[in-house]
Amino acid sequence: MFTGEIPIYQQLADRVAEDILAGTYPEESSVPSTNEYAVFYQISPITAAKGVNLLVEQGVLYKKRGVGMFVAAGAREKLRVKRRAAFSERHIAPLVHEARLLRIYREELDDLINQEDSK
Amino acid sequence: MTNTIEIDSVTRQFGRVRALDSVSFAVPEHSFVGLLGRNGAGKTTVMSIMAGQDRPTSGNVTVAGHDPFEHAPTLAQISYVRDNQRYPDDYRLHHVLRIAPNFAPNWSPEVAAELVEGFRIPARTPIKKLSRGQLSSVAIVLGLASRAPITLLDEPYLGLDVTARAFFHTVLLRDYEDHPRTVVFSTHLIEESASLFDRVVIMDKGRVVLDAASDEATETAWVMSGTTPAVTRLTGNAQVLSTSTVGGLMSATGFGALDSETRELAQELRVQIVRATLQQLVAAYGANDAASDRKEEVRSA
Amino acid sequence: MSTLISSTKLHLNKREITFAVPLYITGLVAVVSVLISFLFWRAGSQPGSEGWISGSQSNPGILYSLAGFLVYLGVQSVATTFPFALSLGATRRGFAGGTVLWAVLVSAYLAFVFAVLTTIEIATDHWFAGFYVFDVYVLGAGDLSRLLPTVFLGTLSMLTIGGVFGAAWLRFGARGPQVIGVGVGLVLVLALIVLIPSAAEILGRFELWWLAVTAAVVIALSSAGMWSLLRSAIVR
Repeated sequence: MFTGEIPIYQQLADRVAEDILAGTYPEESSVPSTNEYAVFYQISPITAAKGVNLLVEQGVLYKKRGVGMFVAAGAREKLRVKRRAAFSERHIAPLVHEARLLRIYREELDDLINQEDSK
Repeated sequence: MTNTIEIDSVTRQFGRVRALDSVSFAVPEHSFVGLLGRNGAGKTTVMSIMAGQDRPTSGNVTVAGHDPFEHAPTLAQISYVRDNQRYPDDYRLHHVLRIAPNFAPNWSPEVAAELVEGFRIPARTPIKKLSRGQLSSVAIVLGLASRAPITLLDEPYLGLDVTARAFFHTVLLRDYEDHPRTVVFSTHLIEESASLFDRVVIMDKGRVVLDAASDEATETAWVMSGTTPAVTRLTGNAQVLSTSTVGGLMSATGFGALDSETRELAQELRVQIVRATLQQLVAAYGANDAASDRKEEVRSA
Repeated sequence: MSTLISSTKLHLNKREITFAVPLYITGLVAVVSVLISFLFWRAGSQPGSEGWISGSQSNPGILYSLAGFLVYLGVQSVATTFPFALSLGATRRGFAGGTVLWAVLVSAYLAFVFAVLTTIEIATDHWFAGFYVFDVYVLGAGDLSRLLPTVFLGTLSMLTIGGVFGAAWLRFGARGPQVIGVGVGLVLVLALIVLIPSAAEILGRFELWWLAVTAAVVIALSSAGMWSLLRSAIVR
């Protein structure tokens, strides 16, 4: 289910973060357990724990002893800030690069973005 | 983290054949370790030694703090079914299910029943007449229902269809929560299980050629592809495991950190560099006769 | 925890071949014995006559037919069960001990069954028709104090001899049993060469307990041999 380049625990953390951003797991709600993630994505429980712990370290998730794992208050904002920082590198840079190759100029690019946005 | 299994410079000689040559690696507690390599690389031999079924010619093996050979309390913690396991004459499934709990203190009849049903193992067919996949299923039933703290799975995927493989993983991972265990998988079918491994040990010709955490195993491994002169120039001093050429094109698999200069040069020469997958890395080790020799040079240098 | 008892249970796991097959064979031999008796009868021999009785009682078929099966049972108890026992987690020591204990149980079982059948045979005046199956000379001619040790020690010898051959096969491949066979043959021939001049004297002093002692020695040697072969056998 996961692929090559990026370590699996990182991919799991990204996937959970995305779910939190998209509102699948609202703040203060519980997320699946480490073991449930392991079973669902068919990855080793140690790897799953590593991925989940990454989010705990970032203050996105927190543990309630004996109950489970919960989304921290302010987690979405925290993730948004983090993802914004990476937005330019991850999305704008390749967009500009490709646009240059195809000779798509600014105005046309704006139109394309507007079209996509209004869908 | 403590190590459940420690193999320390183990050599195993069968007559004139050296099946294992100074093999050393460790298996951390509660981790999943993939023992990879071609047929004949020494995977089954090293597993037999871990399982206490065989003794090294020289070197030490420690499992849960003991040499497992002839040590009943350690053997009771190990589950190991070899890929070509022999069963007593005239055995059927019910014979296996009836006797196994006598040797496995943590045996779970529920897990066994679930697996038998999920794998659709025929109850009335003699074990001798089961298909390759069904034999693998019986071995998995023994391996998982034992709930052994140390579970050694020798080629568990042989003949299993894709549904059965996913089912096997699901039962193992689900049961792990309340019954965590250390699992070693030996396999040469890597894509099936790569995402499950915490560590990988790659063997070739009786030696360990790579022993690393899964995330790090392929970290510095790459596949370069482009025109033959360009790839040859780029790989100049790097550790190349295997190459293949078609027409004027060449692809090379190797490892070693690449500096930004090399990467820039690659872009200039229009050579594509991608991170090698575990499967590509294992294939490259297996393909290259020079790999183990090179290691020898490094050692003697 | 010892794996000896578990290994015994592993052998007993195949209930049919352990408990039922010896009875099938015994039953088959009984049928054949009866048929042979019919043959004699048709040939003119009278049931109940002195010749009839001594002829029937001299028939050792029951011994030979079971012996072959018991040696086979001994061989396969080791040869095909040992690899599986190791996989289950038995120690070699535990398996060897468990195999001998199983052989003792099977021997006791057969001795008991034979005692019961012999008792029935005698009580029913040889199945109401003068058929001698168990009341024969090799089994003590109806004397239970001779039948019980004979069947017990005989069975145990066959099973352990089979066991040591099975172990030799596991340890050395096809050559193992050959070497043992040739070795035992050589020892017997050498013993004969030494003893033959005084054979008449020895036979003259022969007593039944010699056989019992011989059986005990065979059992002890086979069991020890099986254990030492299994200790270094490699399973592949």
